[in-house]
Amino acid sequence: MNELLNKLSNCIEFGKINKAAPFPPQMKGEDGADEITRQALDEGVNAQDVLTEGLMPGMERVGVKFRENKVFVPQVLMSAKAMSTAMVHLKPYFDSGAAKQKGTFIIGTVLGDLHDIGKNLVAMMVEGNGYKVIDLGTDVDTEKYLNALNENPGAVVGLSALLTTTMANMERITKEIKAAAPNTLVAVGGAPVNEEFSKKIGADNYSSDPQAIVEFLNTKTA
Amino acid sequence: MKRIFSLCLTNTAKMNIERSFTFEELEIDPKEIIATLGYTEDSFFEPFPTYLAQAFECCKQLNDIKGAYRILKMDEFCSDKKKICVQDLQFNVGRTIRKELNGAENIAFFVCTAGAEISQLADKLLKGEDPVLGYVYDVIGSAIAEAVGDKIQATISLSEQKAGRKITNRYSPGYCHWNVTDQHKLFSLFGGTACGVKLTPSSLMHPVKSISGLIGIGENVEFNDYQCNLCQLENCVYRDKH
Repeated sequence: MNELLNKLSNCIEFGKINKAAPFPPQMKGEDGADEITRQALDEGVNAQDVLTEGLMPGMERVGVKFRENKVFVPQVLMSAKAMSTAMVHLKPYFDSGAAKQKGTFIIGTVLGDLHDIGKNLVAMMVEGNGYKVIDLGTDVDTEKYLNALNENPGAVVGLSALLTTTMANMERITKEIKAAAPNTLVAVGGAPVNEEFSKKIGADNYSSDPQAIVEFLNTKTA
Repeated sequence: MKRIFSLCLTNTAKMNIERSFTFEELEIDPKEIIATLGYTEDSFFEPFPTYLAQAFECCKQLNDIKGAYRILKMDEFCSDKKKICVQDLQFNVGRTIRKELNGAENIAFFVCTAGAEISQLADKLLKGEDPVLGYVYDVIGSAIAEAVGDKIQATISLSEQKAGRKITNRYSPGYCHWNVTDQHKLFSLFGGTACGVKLTPSSLMHPVKSISGLIGIGENVEFNDYQCNLCQLENCVYRDKH
């Protein structure tokens, strides 16, 4: 692997945003995701390779460590910030078609619930693994999901919830999405949800952590 | 130490009790915040301690931390195994909470908030320039709302003790199958808004860092710790803390 891309994936894994950032302490004073992404592109590294061989491996390692309780939310947020800083440099390549994302993922916290930390972590992790993410926010009802689906045909839809009482809304929204767009894959997640509930409401996937939804999406786009 | 008490008259001429709190008097333990962030004091490395210190300092300026409660008689005849009745309102609290309220003669309804300021600050930072600092504020905001809940609960407990009555733990819509749609009934007891907290049509509270709920009061009620094994929130940050 290109040495620069190796460095870049380390920046993502350890949340090194740019040279000025003091975090992580062991990388203080070194270039971060911002400078290295720019340098790689300036040196002619393919934008697609920057994404798939630089950014994505770093974010995947973060996802696995988060699942294994080796890192926690603040560190994931640092990695996500490093990732989004790098993505600014890649945006023109996505816009021109020179680099492609793996697919589109629409995500929102369902109607009656405004807990969004978990949803945001999933969005960051999915984006960091090479997908375009449409984040609809919190308190989202069916119509908003369907509008986003109309604008992004073929996208996978993710429903998040924290409150036990919003599980009923999750069921209704899943069924309404399936009725309006039967081929749409619906993934569910959140503290009160489990595999059994996911099957009962007709969802296609239950993920217990952000990396799991990435793995599910990868099986559908590979 | 600044303490502001106010008695608010609603349109039904019944008394709500509302209090303002300073951040300092809530005595939030930084160790709890560190634990909620996922760390221990030993594993809490820079820049997170700096973020935490900065946020604690900033929170001293908050001036919209409030809690309110109202105590009403429970209508035993209308209540059943899943619901309670207060005034003309039925609260469908579900079997688990209803069981905890066995023996209650009165119900204290409460609304507590960390205020709009910290809720907006956390949201803005999380979505923009500094998500980590935003997350720290988010966690502290939740801790503030819960700490106000603790203070309100302690106040009720103390005053009821003098009358020979005990209290239950506190329970909130959205948990243990108590539907959040009952929030509108709960807030109607405060004239639709309390402590500056308002509801969306889908029953969500604004400012976000707010809690609401009820506490049972009576000579024969029991105070039980939260029963985590009865709850489906397997990843709840409070699981097994109580």
